Amino acid sequence: MDWELERSDGRLVGRPCGRVDETTWEMFSQVLTAAVREAADGGGLPLVIDLTGLDYMSSRGLRALTMAKREAGEIVKITLAAPNDRMREILAISRYDKLFEVTADAPPSGGPKA
Amino acid sequence: MLVRFWGTRGSLPVAQRADAIQAKIAQALVAASGRTFADEAAAAAFAGSHLPFSTYGAYGGATSCVEIEGADDAFIVCDMGSGLREFGIDALRRCAAGHARTFHFFMSHMHWDHIMGFPFFGPAFDPAATIVIHSGHLDTEEALRRQQEEISFPAPFDWLKATFQFVTHQMGETFDAAGVAVTLIRQHHSHDSYGFHFNRGGRSVIYSTDSEHKLDNMESEAAFEAFFAGADLVICDTMYSLGDSVSLKADWGHSSNIVAVDLCHAAGAKQLALFHHEPSYTDEDIARMHAETVRYEELVRADRPALEVICTYDGLEIAI
Repeated sequence: MDWELERSDGRLVGRPCGRVDETTWEMFSQVLTAAVREAADGGGLPLVIDLTGLDYMSSRGLRALTMAKREAGEIVKITLAAPNDRMREILAISRYDKLFEVTADAPPSGGPKA
Repeated sequence: MLVRFWGTRGSLPVAQRADAIQAKIAQALVAASGRTFADEAAAAAFAGSHLPFSTYGAYGGATSCVEIEGADDAFIVCDMGSGLREFGIDALRRCAAGHARTFHFFMSHMHWDHIMGFPFFGPAFDPAATIVIHSGHLDTEEALRRQQEEISFPAPFDWLKATFQFVTHQMGETFDAAGVAVTLIRQHHSHDSYGFHFNRGGRSVIYSTDSEHKLDNMESEAAFEAFFAGADLVICDTMYSLGDSVSLKADWGHSSNIVAVDLCHAAGAKQLALFHHEPSYTDEDIARMHAETVRYEELVRADRPALEVICTYDGLEIAI
């Protein structure tokens, strides 16, 4: 899994690429938690996880999202953006589409790398 | 080995209401669409091939009780939920036909829904029966005696005629029970619960119910992957969705369907049996959960061998 984080239009955008499974979830969790802390340090910037490049995420990745949400508390709002069809199904089956706001469109890229 | 499910519901027994039966009959009549049948066998054949299980059958409502057939001259039974009453009736029939009157019970824990069938277990009144109760807890006998105290039940434990033996086992210890090798693992649940690994002749069955896999203790997942490794069948607590298990129902002591799939994938298990169904679920809800779990397994399988996902119901038999 690859990961990029950029600041754009007053928000942080994280872009995981590849898959999050039992071999990559720890890295995903670490970068996600770091992104939440950076968003909090930035005064409570919204954090958008752009799922465009993500093939899929198993339960370990989903649980990493939950831990990030707990870390975020009321300070940082986390949104999931542009899941592919497979990820959209996984979010529905796991009922994570009830825990997170999911948007169809990806945020524009090109801002400064954070 | 043959695994026979006598009770598959979680937490509380569930009875089918009249309106649920009426809806099934109406669905069947609509599906028949004016056909006529020569007899009940022909109608049953049509229903079996044209209706979903949630219409033609029912997942059942008895709480946890699973028999594993294949021991030497003994019954092996996991938990004493309300399904134990039906098992007891059938066991008496088999004993009358010559089966040995020895019972090895394996207790996940002593919560209400896992012991409530015991006061109705007919063989406990048989003076020729031997009942060995295996558990990881020290207070198993106390729990069984307490639920038969006068305030709760009219027949006290001391009225039972069978010979009883309570055996407490340690984690990691492998012991023999009537020719079956058994190991247990401690699970996250209120007052702890234990999962059991049964192995005979290279075939293995895991019974892992009432087990919560916590977000902040991913290290324990490795222990469960090792415990499940290569199993022919994993019977797993799949009571909630993952979303529910990490939010509203966190710390309620149960797991989700998709964590069960991921554990089985990582362990290289062959079959997953969805178990301990949420009592508020209708048959349609359970069928939907099963279909979603099958689909999730496909979505995350990658290059692994396929994991067969089976939805348990009262009366199901799985040959291993």
